[in-house]
Amino acid sequence: MDQPFVDTLRPHLRYLAPEQELRPEDRLRDLGLNSMQAIDLVFDLEDNCGVTLPDDQLTDANFETAGALWSAVENARSDSLTDAR
Amino acid sequence: MKALDPALAARLAPVLATVGQHAAESDEKASFPVEGLTAMRNSGLLGLLVPARYGGLDGTVHDLLAVSQLIARQDMSAAMVFAMHGQQVAALVHHASEELRERVLPGVARGDLYLGSVTTEAGKGGHLLSSETGTRREGDLIELDRMAPIVTGGAHADAYLMTVLAPGAGSDGQVSLVYAERDQLDVQVLGGWDPMGMRGTHSVPMRFTGAVPHDQVVGAHGDFRRVTVDVFAPLAHLGWSACWLGTAAGALSRTLRMLRSPDERRRRDLKSELLLTRLSRARQRVDTVQAMLSHAADVYTSLSERERGGAPWQLLVNALKVTASEQCPAAVEELIELVGLRHGYLRNQPLTLERALRDLRSASLNYGNDRLHLANGSLSLLDQETTLV
Repeated sequence: MDQPFVDTLRPHLRYLAPEQELRPEDRLRDLGLNSMQAIDLVFDLEDNCGVTLPDDQLTDANFETAGALWSAVENARSDSLTDAR
Repeated sequence: MKALDPALAARLAPVLATVGQHAAESDEKASFPVEGLTAMRNSGLLGLLVPARYGGLDGTVHDLLAVSQLIARQDMSAAMVFAMHGQQVAALVHHASEELRERVLPGVARGDLYLGSVTTEAGKGGHLLSSETGTRREGDLIELDRMAPIVTGGAHADAYLMTVLAPGAGSDGQVSLVYAERDQLDVQVLGGWDPMGMRGTHSVPMRFTGAVPHDQVVGAHGDFRRVTVDVFAPLAHLGWSACWLGTAAGALSRTLRMLRSPDERRRRDLKSELLLTRLSRARQRVDTVQAMLSHAADVYTSLSERERGGAPWQLLVNALKVTASEQCPAAVEELIELVGLRHGYLRNQPLTLERALRDLRSASLNYGNDRLHLANGSLSLLDQETTLV
């Protein structure tokens, strides 16, 4: 998980203390992400990380943990690179 | 609605007779349909969704909706009691441990256990996925002290499924669903119930204190969201919609019988364009809800648990709830305009339209439509493709 990704996530996780490190296995909902905020997070990922998650990747499973969301972001990035070629 | 399986219809007949007989009194006194519940216990229908290996009737979600709808033609409150019990049973069947299922489900099938739902909490407005009730792990027990402002049938339930924070929860979203029998806790009824409609649900404020074994959790600790997405929210919306539809369809049916009776035919012009248009509109509303409910039930039973977490399904089931809660009372309104003050507005008339309207007025508030629209707005933004299921 790179720094821009973690920095993008952090404001959406109100139960993640400022000094606390975000680990891939951390469950995002336990840290305060709710379904109403999910769309705001998607917009922030587009703006800050330059990646658009396709609709079929906006699943509960991909928002389960930080690591799962990071994988989805990485996949979306490599898919868009493939498309560009 | 497909015709009910004859064996189920035979079980249901005495329930319908009893519920119908006591509906007016239950409404008048805002009292729980005790006789109706006894009939449900004796009929085996409390175990409708319990698999046969635990002694149940092995019924489907479609059966649950059909039975709820038919009870609601007589009494919406009794139907809500039945439908919500079914929602609790489904949660146990699909998410309880095998050990807990073996311990509880045979009693449900025998009619010994009517299950109440404890999900409301002051200040969160019925929001399912959060809680402010902390719990403490003490050896093999979980200690809890839970207040709930509204517990449908709570004073009459034999056991409860209640949401509380998981022991050691670090955020208000780590909610557990816990099974508790009445005699495992100190159960207090804190007040009365005197609403406009659905008066028989006897949905009272309650307090539960004590400790239950740690393994009486349904689903994993802190993971009530999974139970909600898979069972709790869909069956709430499907079940309530079936009740509202039954009440509206029953009102339409009684009105049509009256209009076609020899006396009324002599008094009224059944070719009146206004009358025909109003009947058409009422029927259209009822059929709209029927179509949506039937489709949503088919989709629900065909989806995997993972797909139930997706936006397209959640949009559909939320829209079903909002649509049913708007169209069912609107159909009854239409009928009241049609039959006029005496048959439509006076209390204790044979058509019972005024009770149906009071009962149905609750529909938009029962998990508020305003909140569902906000959820569906956000979900729509997550589904740019507009995937229709």
